[in-house]
Order: sequence, then structure tokens, then C-alpha cells
Amino acid sequence: MSQGKILVVDDDPQIRRVMRATLVSHGYEVTEARDGQAALEVIGREPPNLVLLDMNMPGMGGLDTCRALRTASDVPVIILTVRESEKDKVAALDAGADDYVTKPFGIEELLARIRAALRRSAASPDAGPRSFSCPGLEIDFETRRVSAQGRDVRLTPKEFDLLRHLVAHAGKPVAHRELLQAVWGPDYGDEPEYLRVFVNQVRKKIEPNPARPQYLVTEPWVGYRFVAPAK
Amino acid sequence: MTRALRLAGSVLAVSAVIALYRYLPVNSTTVALSLLLVILFVSARWGLAEAVVASVVATVGLDYYFLPPVGTFTLDPESWVALLAFLATAFTASKLSASARSRAAEADARRTEIERLYALVQAMMLTGGSSKTMREFVHRVVREFGSTAAAFYYRATEEVVRSGAESAVAGDHDLRVAAELDGVRIDSGRGLALAPVRLGSRPLGSLAMIAPLPSAQTIQAIADLVALTIEKARALEEAGHAEAARQSEAFRSAMLDALAHDIKTPLTAIKAAVTSLLGTAPETERELLSIIHESADRLNRMAAEVIAMARVEAGKLHLETRPFPVGELLDSVLSELAPRLSGRPVSARVAEGLPAALADPELIRQAVKQLVENAANYSPPGSAIALSAEAKSAKILIRVADRGPGIQENERILIFDKFFRGRRHRYDTKGTGMGLAIAKGIVDAHGERIWVESEQGQGAVFSFTLPVSPEVRQP
Repeated sequence: MSQGKILVVDDDPQIRRVMRATLVSHGYEVTEARDGQAALEVIGREPPNLVLLDMNMPGMGGLDTCRALRTASDVPVIILTVRESEKDKVAALDAGADDYVTKPFGIEELLARIRAALRRSAASPDAGPRSFSCPGLEIDFETRRVSAQGRDVRLTPKEFDLLRHLVAHAGKPVAHRELLQAVWGPDYGDEPEYLRVFVNQVRKKIEPNPARPQYLVTEPWVGYRFVAPAK
Repeated sequence: MTRALRLAGSVLAVSAVIALYRYLPVNSTTVALSLLLVILFVSARWGLAEAVVASVVATVGLDYYFLPPVGTFTLDPESWVALLAFLATAFTASKLSASARSRAAEADARRTEIERLYALVQAMMLTGGSSKTMREFVHRVVREFGSTAAAFYYRATEEVVRSGAESAVAGDHDLRVAAELDGVRIDSGRGLALAPVRLGSRPLGSLAMIAPLPSAQTIQAIADLVALTIEKARALEEAGHAEAARQSEAFRSAMLDALAHDIKTPLTAIKAAVTSLLGTAPETERELLSIIHESADRLNRMAAEVIAMARVEAGKLHLETRPFPVGELLDSVLSELAPRLSGRPVSARVAEGLPAALADPELIRQAVKQLVENAANYSPPGSAIALSAEAKSAKILIRVADRGPGIQENERILIFDKFFRGRRHRYDTKGTGMGLAIAKGIVDAHGERIWVESEQGQGAVFSFTLPVSPEVRQP
């Protein structure tokens, strides 16, 4: 049985070949695209469960492709790139990617990232309350719907999981490492830049003034804390 | 009008008045006053010599025709008084008018010079590089001021540019000396003017002109103008160079990025394929697949180091400094390198309350990584590697210590050179020989210091400093 359908977007045919061979042998279905434009067409035609997206492609690059597909889709996206500076990582996450893998990578590392991206947060909906509400913010954990200041907002799966974990520990600071492992998986913990970007994105969607957050508060050098304002 | 003509004219004018009054019924006083007027006119118009001649002729005429006894030349006291009056008038009037004339001529000359200076300024508004500007300038000076020749000596490049008659121009020695002068010096014997060219108090060179010369003030103005023009041209040139350097820097950076991408793409395919095979391969093939895998990793590290070295060597690392906690950085380097450090006791000790460092965390991370890799490459497997960070004399001191064989004293200075390998390790193939050079390049770019201490047989300690961030807490 298929573990899921993965779209591989890379301009290098050898990389597409090795990805297809490896991913198929691990039980995934694979579709391919050689550039951003083709990727958007494939996504429209047969939506994948996950996209592996090369950052550096001729024509429409990985970042632009990611931004374009985010306007219509919440599909998990892992960006693959040869650049490894923090600036590039932040740019990838800012464009809407869920994760980031540096080339060249070992296949086990990539498979772990794929599993993490496909996995929904470990905290099962049955374990806690079905919904949460405080002034200006309502969250339905079952349908994964969020409304802020009376408006429905759309969160990507990782953004939603991040918010859910912080809400579940409302009032208490959650350390970077704990938050990373809860949302991305046990292999994570050294990527504080992921949190910076994702927390900022969630703030933009739910905070009345993202520059002065009232719900998602930074705990300097420690992590983040969810604060429910008094009624 | 020539002087002879003017003299004849003066005699004629006096004679005409005398002839006129011979037939008119007037007394001698009227005649004397009329003659005085004529002399005044001659003196003011033509000069002293003409007026003196006119005075003598007038005295003789007055004595002979009008003073009794009329018709005889007696030279009585009245005649002497008249002559004295005539001569005094001639002297005074000629002196006054000569000074008025010379003032008018001077004003005329100044006006012309200012017009020429203005033309020169206009001509120098639009010029190219400083060398071309200098040539254009001397050429213009000769053309606008009609000097026989001009020369400009530019001290910064020891360049002398000349224009006009070849043989007439001042020698290089004159020009060098002139650069030290206090002001314009005019040698009328040689028809040579020399002026220092200064911008404020900074000597730029000197200017020479060969007669005909404008006034000293104008020569000074020309010298000031050349200083401004050359400085403007040089500033423009420098701005151009800086822009060109920036563009070539951007180009080099883009080339390195493209190179990194081109090398890493096939490496990605190799590594993905071989790690995939490793997962399922039978034991007999694992050894060979591991070799491919490790070699691909090494090739990747080497490519990364070559590119990092090229960036460092470009000499213009772009620093993005911000405050960051050193402890977290050390931990993340150790966790990234964990696979290469397996089997070693590794520690990172950070002094309590250590303030944040103010540097480019990305680059410092790379420097620490190079030092740790270096320690791993040159110490026996299983031996300890210890990282530490502490505050020392208003700096943050970061150390990486290994328990290897240490570094011989004569090699301690060379060890940061690119491609240098210790004598003992010459035939090892672990590193690229660039790691420490990259680390030093990064630390140097921050204006900080990196050094090594080592006891033979006791391992080596690499240390470098970082500035302390003035902020205590992260915002």
C-alpha cells in the first residue's frame, strides 16, 4: 500500500532518478516535475501528499514555486538546497516550506524528514479538549479550524501543530527543543530558526498586532509561551 | 601714434594758438592762459616729453610776439614765470594722467584674465580621469592665457604634463622645488612663473607658466583651480574603482555559488543512491559502499572548504554581526559534527553568566567547526576534545583543545597558512590543508586574534577572541 504520493521537483535528471528509485522502494508513489511551472501543473492535476522542492532551479525557482503553491495548498513542502546559511534556511521557511534539507544528504535523513512532515502532531485529538477559546481566538482541534478576531484563518499543518502544542501548555514557557520535537519529530532540536519563522507566521495570522504579540510571547533564550488574555 | 608725430603735433598746437592770437585784439595774459590749456591737454593726452617741448615753444612764442618789447626775444622775468608755470602744469598733468591710464590698463587686463579664468573653469567642468584632466588643463591654460608654454607636476604619481613650445618649458627640477613654495614666484628674467598647487594645506604638485604671464593673483587662481579639478577627477575615479570592485565581488560571489551548486548536485545523487543501497546491501558489499559514501562526503567537505577559502581570500567577507550566545553555537557545532567525533570524550564548557558575543554567528560557527575538525584530524581516535568559552579582558575567549601530539614550535606560525601541513602529517590525507586558514580569515575579518599554544606531546590549544555584545539579553 502506498505510504503517500511525493512530488519531486528538481531540474537535475539524475537526482529525480535516484529519488524515484529510492522513494518507490520505500513504498511511496512518485511524480516528477523539472521546474516550478511544471510542478504547479502537476499539483493541480494530481495533488501530492508531499513536495520535495529544489531551491535552485532555472526559471521559476524553488522559493517562488513554494510561495505560489502556498496560495492554494497546505501540502507539506520540504526544500532541498545546496546552501546552508541560516539566512537561506529562514528564506525557505518564510516562503512557506515546512522543512529544509541540505544537499548532499543521506537517504535515511531525508526519509526521516519525509516521515516527520507527513505525520500529524503526536498529541492526538482524543487526548485533550476538542476546542479552545479565549478572547479574540477560537481553535477547533478536530476540524483544525482557527478563527482570530472573528475571521477564519488558514494555518499550514505545521503552523497548526505549533499553535496546538503551545495552547496545550498555555501559561508555561515551552523550550525550543521540546517544541521542535513535538511539532517536527524526535530527530529535531537544533533548528531554532524554524521556530522563529513559524512563530512569526502564526503571529501574522492570529495576532491583532504581530509586532507586539499578546498570544505567542517570546521567552528570551528559552522558548515560547502561549498567553490567554483575561476575559 | 609715434612719438615724433606727437612731438610735431604739440609744436603745431602751440604755434596755432600763437598765430591765432596775433590777429586778435587780446592781452598777453589771455594768450598765456590759452597756452597753458594747450599744454595741459598735451600733457594729459600724450605725456611729459611732448608737454615739455610744448612749454618751451610756448614760452618762446609768448616772449617774442606778445611780451613787450614785441618782436624781440628778451627772456625777461615774466617769460621765466610763464615757463615755470607751463612746466609745472606739464609735470602734474602728465603724472596724474599716466597713473589714470595705467589703472585703466590694469583693470582691462584683469577683466581679460577673469574672462579667461572663467573660460578655463567652464572647460574643466566636464572631464574624464585625472590623467586626462591634467593634460587637458595645461593645454587649456596655454590656449586661454596665451602663454608660450605651461606645465603641471603631479606629486602623487611624479607625473609631469606639458603643453606649448617644447624648448620653453620649465625643467622637472624647477617644478619639484615649486611644489614646496609658499606662493607664486615670478622670475621675470626667464619669463617663468612657478606656483605650488595645494588643496587646503595638502601639496598636490606645482604649476609653471612661461611669459606672457597673467598677474600673480590669477596664476594663484589657476593653481587653485587645477587643485580642485584634479581632486574632483581623482575622487570620481576612486568612486568608479570602488563600484567596479563591488561588481567584481558580486560576480565572484555569484560564480562561487554556481560552482558550489554544480559540484554538490552530482554529489547529492551519489550520496542519495549509495546511502539507499547501504540500507539493504548484504554485508559483503557494505564495505565497498561505505567507501563510496565516505569519499562522497569528503569530496563535499573539500568543495565546501575550497569555496569558503575563496570567499575568505577575496578579503571582503561580508559580516552580518549580531549578538548571539556562544554556548548554543558550540553545542550546535558539536551536534553537527557528532558523527565524526564518535568515540571521543567531547565537552563544551561555558563560563557562567558569559555575555553574548557580537559577531557574524554563521561565520564564527564555520571557524569553530574548522578548529574542531582540525582537532579531530590531528589527534588520535578516542582522545578528548574540549571546547570552552570564557570572558577575558573585555573579550570572549573561545578555545578548542585536543590531546594530539602537539605542534612543534617552528611550525606554530606557519600552521595558519593555506596548504601548510605539519612535518609529521605531510602524508596524511585527512584535511584539505585549508581549515585553519579559513578559521584565521574569518577571525581576522572580525578584527580579532587567533593563535595556538602547544606543549610537545601535550596536545594543542587553539584560541580566538570575539567582541562582547553591549546588550545583555536577547531582544
